[in-house]
Formats: sequence, C-alpha cells, structure tokens
Amino acid sequence: MAVIQMALRYIRKEILVLPTRVIAVLFVLTLLLLPFLTQDMYILRILAIAAIFAIFAASWDLLSGFVGQISFGHALFFGVAAYTTALLNLRLGWSPVITIPLGALVAVLVGLLVGIPCLRLKGPYLGLATLAFPIMLMGIIFVFPGFFGGELGISGITRLAALRIHEYYLAVGLMLVLCFIMWKITDSKIGIIFHAIREDEIAVRASGINTIKFKLLAFCLSGFFAGIAGGLFTHFLRIAGPSMLAVLMSFQAIIWTIFGGIATIYGAVAGVFILYPTLEILRAAAEYRMLIFALIVLLVLRVMPEGITTFIRDKLERECPRCKVRNAFNRKEFRVCYSNMHG
Amino acid sequence: MKRKLFFFAVLFLALALVFGVMGCAPVDPVDDEEEVTPPDEEVDDEDVLEFDGEIKIAVTGPMTNIQGEMMWWGAEMARDEINAAGGVIIGDETYSVSLIQVETDEIMDPLGAVSAVENVIISEDPHFLIGGFRTEAVMPYTDLVARDYQKIFVICGAATNELLEGRIDEDYDTWKYLFRVTPIKSTDLVTVTILMLNDVAMAVREELGIAQPKVAILAEALEWNEALVQMAPQIFPTLGLEFVGTFRPSATASDVTTELRGIEASGAHIIYTIMSGPVGIPFGKQWGELEIPAAPVGINVEAQKSGYYPATDGFGDYDYTLNTFAKNAEITEETIPFMEQFVDLFGQLPNYNADTYSAVYILAEAAERAGTLDTDAVIEEMENTERIGAAGRLVFDENHDVVWGPGYVTAVGIQWQDGELLGAWPYEWYPDPENAPDLVVGYDGIVPYQLPPHVLEQWRE
Repeated sequence: MAVIQMALRYIRKEILVLPTRVIAVLFVLTLLLLPFLTQDMYILRILAIAAIFAIFAASWDLLSGFVGQISFGHALFFGVAAYTTALLNLRLGWSPVITIPLGALVAVLVGLLVGIPCLRLKGPYLGLATLAFPIMLMGIIFVFPGFFGGELGISGITRLAALRIHEYYLAVGLMLVLCFIMWKITDSKIGIIFHAIREDEIAVRASGINTIKFKLLAFCLSGFFAGIAGGLFTHFLRIAGPSMLAVLMSFQAIIWTIFGGIATIYGAVAGVFILYPTLEILRAAAEYRMLIFALIVLLVLRVMPEGITTFIRDKLERECPRCKVRNAFNRKEFRVCYSNMHG
Repeated sequence: MKRKLFFFAVLFLALALVFGVMGCAPVDPVDDEEEVTPPDEEVDDEDVLEFDGEIKIAVTGPMTNIQGEMMWWGAEMARDEINAAGGVIIGDETYSVSLIQVETDEIMDPLGAVSAVENVIISEDPHFLIGGFRTEAVMPYTDLVARDYQKIFVICGAATNELLEGRIDEDYDTWKYLFRVTPIKSTDLVTVTILMLNDVAMAVREELGIAQPKVAILAEALEWNEALVQMAPQIFPTLGLEFVGTFRPSATASDVTTELRGIEASGAHIIYTIMSGPVGIPFGKQWGELEIPAAPVGINVEAQKSGYYPATDGFGDYDYTLNTFAKNAEITEETIPFMEQFVDLFGQLPNYNADTYSAVYILAEAAERAGTLDTDAVIEEMENTERIGAAGRLVFDENHDVVWGPGYVTAVGIQWQDGELLGAWPYEWYPDPENAPDLVVGYDGIVPYQLPPHVLEQWRE
C-alpha cells in the first residue's frame, strides 16, 4: 500500500506536474501497449525501425548537439557496426546477443580513429572531414566485393528475434533504455563539460580540463550508440548494405534531430517518430512524396526553428528566471520558489 | 486560454499521428474472396460482376522512375488484354487480373523498399508479386517475400545472378518462390555484349583496316557490373582485341569529360560501356560533342529509351546497346504487335522492365493450368512454363532463371542510326560455328551495325 502511495505521489509530483513529461509518458506507454491493440506486422516494422533510427539520431545529437562536434558522416558508425555484425553472424555464426555489442565496440574504435585526426578541426571543416570517412569505407567495400558483398551487401543474417513482436519490443526497449542513458549522460558532470566545450572550448581548457579527452569520449560514446543501432538494424533487416554508409543516411540523422530539437536527445527521438512514419505514409503519393516531406520539414522549421519538441516545451512550460525550474503554463506561481509566474 | 487550446491541439495531433500510423495499413489482411477495386482501375460494375474473383498481382518498383513506369505499363497491358479476353479460368471460376502498384523508391532508399513490400503483402494480400530493380533492394525484399510470406515473386528488372543462384540450388524449399523473367542474368548479359563487341571489332577491322582494335571499358562504379569489369579484359585477347584501360565514373555523374579524354588519349577504337544509371546521357552527349574517336558498344540503359536521342541533342547517335526488344526486330511473332501496341498506349518504346507483360501472362497461365491459386501448385506449373513472348521463348532453368540462348531469349543489340533506334544484333550470329556451322541466328528486320561517321573519319585521317 505504501509503495502504491509512493508511486502515486511520484506520478503526481514528478510527472503530472509538467505537460512535457505527461506527453513523454504517454508516448512510452503508447509504444509499450501498442502490440496489445494491433499486431499488424507492417506497423510493428515501421515503429521498430523508427526506434532503431531514434537511437542513431540521438547518438548524433550527443556528439553534435551537445559537444558541438558537427558530424556529417555519422553513418560511418552505423555502417561499420552493421558490417561487423553481419560478418560475425554470417561467418562465425554468432548470435545477435554477441554480434551487436561487438559491432558497437568496433564502432567505438572507429570513433577513436576518426576522433583523433579530427580533434584540431572545428565547424564546417570538421563536418567535411567526417563526411569523407563513410565515403572512404564505401570505397573499400566496393574494392573487396568478395568479402563485403559489394553492392549486394551481406545477406542471410539471423533475425533479431523469432517473432516480429519480439523484435519490436527489443528495438523499442533498447531505444528507451539507451536514449535514457544518453539523456542522463548529458545531464551528468560529463554532460556539463560537453556543453561547455560546445559553448567555449578555450574557456574549458583554461579551467584545466583536458578537452581532447572529453571530445574523444564523445566520439566513442556516440559511436557506441550509433553502433548498437547499426547492429540492430542489420539483424532486423537481415542485410548489411552499402546504403547504410550513404551520405543520405548521415543527413537523415541530422534532419530528424534538427526537426525534433537539437541538444535534447528526446528531440531526436520525436523527430524520428514523426518523420519516419510520415515518409512511409507518403508512399501513397509516390510522385510528390519527397516534395511533400521537404515542405513539411521546411514549414515546421520555419515556424519552430528550435525544433518541434523545444517549441512545444516552450509553449507548455515556463522556466523560472530565478530558480531555473520548469513549470506548467497554467500555474499561477512557480512551483519551487512560489513567486508569481505572471507578475 | 490560448495555451490550453494549444495543449489540446498538441495532444490531438499526437493522437492523430498514432492513429495515422495505425491507419496506414489495415489490421486484417484482405480476404481473397473479397472484391477489391484496384486503385488504378475505374469502377465498372458490369466488368466486376463478370468475374467470380480476382488474381491480385503487386508490381513493386521505383514507380517515379522510368524503370518502374515500364514495369507498370507492361503489367497494365497484360492485365487489360487478359481481362478483355474473359479473364483467367481457374477450375470452374473465372478470375480477373488486378494490379497493385507499390512504390518502393528503391533507387533512393533501397533498404526502405522492404517496408513498402511488406505493407502491400499485409494490406492487400496479393497472390503474386512482380518487379524489383535495384539489387540491394531486391535482395532483402525477395528474402522477406520468400522466407516470411511464401509468396511467388517474379523478378523483372534486376540481373544479378545471386538473386537466384546460391539460393534455389542450395535450399529449394525456402527459395522456390522466386523466378526471373527479365532481364537475362548478369553473366548472360556479358555474353551478349561480348558478341556485340565482336561485331564492332569486325567493323573496325574491315572498314578501318586495324588488325587489333583497342578497347577501353567505361563502367559506372556499381557492384552489379563488377564481374563484367573483371572478366572483360581477359576476354578481349580471345577476340583479337587489345585492352587499354578501365574508366569508372559515378552512376549519377553529370560530366564524363575526364573519362572520355582519358579514353581518347589511350588510343581506343572501341568503348565497352557498362552503364545502367543516368550517367548514360552525359556520356552520349559528350562523346558526340567531343567527337571521341571510339565506337561505343555494351550496355547503356539510357540509350534504350526513346528520349535518349533528344536528351543528348542528337550527339548520342550511333550508340550501340543491349536491350530485350527492338521495334524492327521480329524475335517472335509476338514482338512487333507488342512493340506497336506499347508505343500506341504509352508513347514510348518498351525497355526490358516492360516484360512484366510476360510475367503477368506466365503467372495467369500457370494458375490456369494448375486450376488453383495454391502457391505450390502454381510454382510447379511455372517451372513447366513454355511461352512464346515478345522477347523470345520463355523457359525457366533449374534456378528459375529465364533460359538464354538460340531458340530461347537471346536479347538484342540496338543502335541509334540517324535518330532511329534499330535492332542491329543478332544480324548473322553463328552461335556454334564448330559443331553447328549452318546454325545462323538473325531476326527479320535486324539491320547491320554501323560505325559512327566521326570515328570512321578520324581514323581514316
């Protein structure tokens, strides 16, 4: 009884108190309960893929949104892990439980390899340098088609799970856990340093903090999460193909994140869950699909330049200028310092 | 108040999105017996009532590209003919053929194509599927169709051997659902282009007096042609040709001047082209504009289209490429009527993707012979296919691949000659000069190959 009371109290005090938290909880509940409403394979497929891409987009947000290390070649981590996972599964017969983490670890190594030469670069120069890496890897794939499968890719990979519903819960469950971890990282001491590096790297260095170490850490963390997404995607689709390294794949992560709200983590998730199904629905208007999609993105960003989640959050909540705590828009006074909200 | 309204609006939008996603595919598959009006068909009560049921065929491809359009048009033509002729008789019942268009967008997003295919399987429950263009997309979605849904898929656009080889021969029960009608498989494509190359080499020898013509390869940087690029230089010496180098532009390159100047500098007399992408147009235009003294021959999918000549401002004249049909070549008695009707209906010459026409007929006839729409029974009948189509005699081999060779499907070489796209191979082809010296293959209407005039002039000078 006491536990229930505590839970209710927590819900009332910590969740119902902020509209954005209510929306977040509703979103999570919808995802978790959806298979009880429908087991349509197509819907589960689209949402499972959206969940995987949400991890990928959030990993870009972690590196570029929070640390300011603009990456235009994020597909590198996704693709490296995808190919590693596929090769380990196909050649050695290892199960996804092993291949996905190993693929992510290889992506971490690649994150280090990319991070080291890119440390001195900033802004557009860093972006262009990172853009080159997946293109180079794609070149390697075409040079060794016998090993990497060339344009055909590597197929015949084990399914992520025996049933689609299991695959769905794996993808969604991992998305929720990994995005929560990423969000907690950005909210931790490391996250504060990440923020500071993005805002003023010289000032951070002047404070005695080894920014090189933290930037490399960001590359590795981002590579790890993107790698998990790549491994999951490979097992879900049962193929690793060169389009996983394509420029479009990298840019998709950027579009999703900016659309949802950069430097938030949850913005990346929202961006994917809005845009990916939208693009699928638009298949009905084949000829105008990309045009409509581009117009939606442009119009939304014109009205909400900070991204859709930031816009909604700012409309529904207000931050107290004194205690910096967020409050629901309909309150009369701030919930911590009790000063008048509209005064 | 405004904020409250906004809050409810956001909630409404969120709910609309959730239900929108749910709504993009019906929960229950459509029952086979239920009458569904295909989206492209006009409702005509009398026509619908004439049939006891319908055979639903999903056509999957990049529908906003010419390849997808050709697939759709070919299938539409077959559907209309079959339905007008009284439909398909299965047992005691008459079925109409209905088509479902599936936009896979596989050129832009090959991995996303799988979702589109799964959507149509779940929402429309088609009896059969046909189409597929880009190998990287066709590989996973044939995997899905065969392994997860056990439905028959007839490939009508991707040539890669591995889509069938290494699958059906190694695990028949899993992959027996897959067939290929068009094009012929990659290795057969190589053979045909080499035969066409031999024709060009002979023309160079006879008209320019060059005993050992030099050949450069111009191949788009894609995997499907990798085997050709590796294999071709080893074949050239056996044809008395000297290999001078390989040039690999992007499949979407808009400028190939560097490659063409390189070919010119190499002293090549012939360019062996292997291109399926849009690069074929800048190639044709710049090759003519720069008057590169080397005759192109091989595969240039763009040159198969009626619009190639105007797109290259006429500079692509004399390009010589592989195709499945030619408007002047009477491969079978079906070819010319098919070509004429296709042009009448759609205003364009068909390319190889348009042989979805044959695929629809093969499926309908197999179902009719089987007397049921049961997948295994239809597969068994499809394996016994023997059909005279517009592209030749269609028979499937042990890998469910269309058989290539004299008396079967041979493909044709087509050349732009003074702005007209004419069949130029096989003119006088001796498939087996040692064992059957009298066997000559040549279709009525085929014209002899012509060397481009500027190539003749420059080498004579």
